[in-house]
Amino acid sequence: MEFIQTALAQGRKSLSEYQSKQLLKAHGIPVTREILTNGVEKAVQAAVEIGYPVVLKACGAELMHKSESDALILNLKDAAEVRAAFDQIMGRRTDTGTEILVQEMIRGQRELVVGMNREPQFGPCVMLGLGGIMAEVLQDTVFRVAPFDHNEALDMLQELRSKAILGPFRGQAGVQPDELARILTAVGEIGLGYAAVQELDINPLIIDPKGRITAVDALVILKSI
Amino acid sequence: MIPSLQESPLYAMANPASIAFFGASNNYGAMGTNILQSVLSLGYAGRLYPVHPKEKRVMNLPAYGDVADLPEVPDLAFIVLPTDIVIPTIEACGRKGIRRAIIVSAGFNELGEKGRALQQELLAAARRHGLRFTGPNCIGVVNPHWKLNATFLPYEGRPGFIGIASQSGSFVTQMFNYLDRFGLGFSTGFSLGNEADIDLVDGLAYLGACPHTKVIALYVESIRRGRAFIETARAVAVRKPIVAFYVGGSEEGKRACFSHTGALAGSDRLYDGIFRQSGIIRAGSIEEMFDFCYALGAAKAMGGNRLLIQTHSGGPGAAAADAAGRAGLKLPKLAGETLEKLAPYVPRTGSSANPIDLTYTKNPLDYFYSIPDILLHDQETDALLVYFLASAGMVRRALEGLGVQKEEVALHAEKIIADQCKAVASLAEKHPKPLIGFSFLTRENPFIRGLQDLGVPVLAGPERAARALGAMAAYASLRKKLL
Repeated sequence: MEFIQTALAQGRKSLSEYQSKQLLKAHGIPVTREILTNGVEKAVQAAVEIGYPVVLKACGAELMHKSESDALILNLKDAAEVRAAFDQIMGRRTDTGTEILVQEMIRGQRELVVGMNREPQFGPCVMLGLGGIMAEVLQDTVFRVAPFDHNEALDMLQELRSKAILGPFRGQAGVQPDELARILTAVGEIGLGYAAVQELDINPLIIDPKGRITAVDALVILKSI
Repeated sequence: MIPSLQESPLYAMANPASIAFFGASNNYGAMGTNILQSVLSLGYAGRLYPVHPKEKRVMNLPAYGDVADLPEVPDLAFIVLPTDIVIPTIEACGRKGIRRAIIVSAGFNELGEKGRALQQELLAAARRHGLRFTGPNCIGVVNPHWKLNATFLPYEGRPGFIGIASQSGSFVTQMFNYLDRFGLGFSTGFSLGNEADIDLVDGLAYLGACPHTKVIALYVESIRRGRAFIETARAVAVRKPIVAFYVGGSEEGKRACFSHTGALAGSDRLYDGIFRQSGIIRAGSIEEMFDFCYALGAAKAMGGNRLLIQTHSGGPGAAAADAAGRAGLKLPKLAGETLEKLAPYVPRTGSSANPIDLTYTKNPLDYFYSIPDILLHDQETDALLVYFLASAGMVRRALEGLGVQKEEVALHAEKIIADQCKAVASLAEKHPKPLIGFSFLTRENPFIRGLQDLGVPVLAGPERAARALGAMAAYASLRKKLL
């Protein structure tokens, strides 16, 4: 991935959300449909292309926690709302080089987190956890050391205490276990394949009412090697 | 995995034909002397060469002033010396041609910065001579099948089937008496200490290939070679169960590393995953580790997670059922055919639901043979757990009641108990499913002792037995995943 080398050459500590998801997408992980724009009319055009409702996000290399820096506005239903949101986000920004990411609006009450981190004695480890606002309270996480096969990834799902949310849930469809397992093995492959990727965090990974899984936000932390 | 035991660097440590012993004297207070005493008292059959600068004889064995003077190149050097002469001793052993050492001496990595440099120096000295070693800061090795107990405490038990690799110094030797209380023993045990050279992965590979070892226990504080550990464990676990007890995982222990979710990444959970990925069953306590090893090593393999419980007392039966549920086991209803066969044996006060509560059985052999035989034939179950209440006192009282001469009562009672034990053991032998017992009685009771000595595991109480069955079911599913 060329943009990883470029980011490292520029001395950056992380990839932008857009780039992080490009990396995921290249490894077969389903991500939100999204277009990176740098002007208000381009944002409106992107929204039409993606289809309303959309989400607008500030997208820059050093923007790690979007909800904490008012850089995210959800559920925009028409051009007027996109324009207003664009001005609102850009108006608050003092940093240069920030672009706007126009993104499809994914709805789903079930949230997961998937991560990759390097343990000194094990190398890249993949985490699957329950996401959402209660994540830190419930601390429902499972780990595997990469590489691991599809069966092992399926076993991670079984190990999750709240695995019931992966099945049919309150009238919503369950996830395809194979699809979630493929995401987990792919994250392990990213860990093994890119020494410069120090950490990877997909949060949230949303399960929609039809049981489809989408990486809605992602962050790659880099380490110069 | 290693193709054969002989290829393990630990082979000569567990099966040495000759040992050069450093640090034993005629002073009974010394650690080295104590260990040599342990070696002698178990009746080690190989050649022993104490090396001592002053003494001519050590523990009644001829002693040598210098390792260079030994009449042969021993398989193993056992070193219990003050820290500052360990490295020169390793050098001297290397020059003599010795290629294996167990270094009990402490004062290395565990002391911090200064010790770390010394340990590096030790490792470098050993490498120069192609010498492999366990320790430093370990307690030694035990292989009762080789009549070798080179550890601090005397070996009190019998040669057994539990192999152990331990990162705690003296933990292995302290468990001798504990295991003996269940009629159990170690097959081979390695204390690995600081793991400067040989580590947990080598221990696991050795025990995986060791023919006396039916089940492997690991006492883990930190896994140093992560990938190699997982790969070795996965290869071993398809052939024999591995049970680990890990002590480094409290939430306070290590800082989490994930960026957004850092707070979630407790290393206890990481190790849960690593063990599961490795096909290893994780025990919550030392007692539980050995309970699991006992059941997994002594009984037939369990195919699934369905359990029948046979009892003649409601309380222990219900306690076992509750603990089994918590351990992830299912208690199925008896199949129709089983119910039919069982009907003549169940009194009106009893219950054919699961747990099968027989309240009181007039003919003891029904309880010990006919009934468990029917239950083990049930197609809808994977294991049978039986409550053993039988007391020798009851047998004697019954015999007295029948008018048996007082002097003959003991003899008859012994035979009756032996026959009952044989009946149970023959069932365990005959059926392809595990038969596990639990009792509040211990080995002091001849019936419990008889069962255990015939290889029927009898665990201490319903909860511990049920959790051990949970571990057996977990092993079945881990193994299925690995195959």
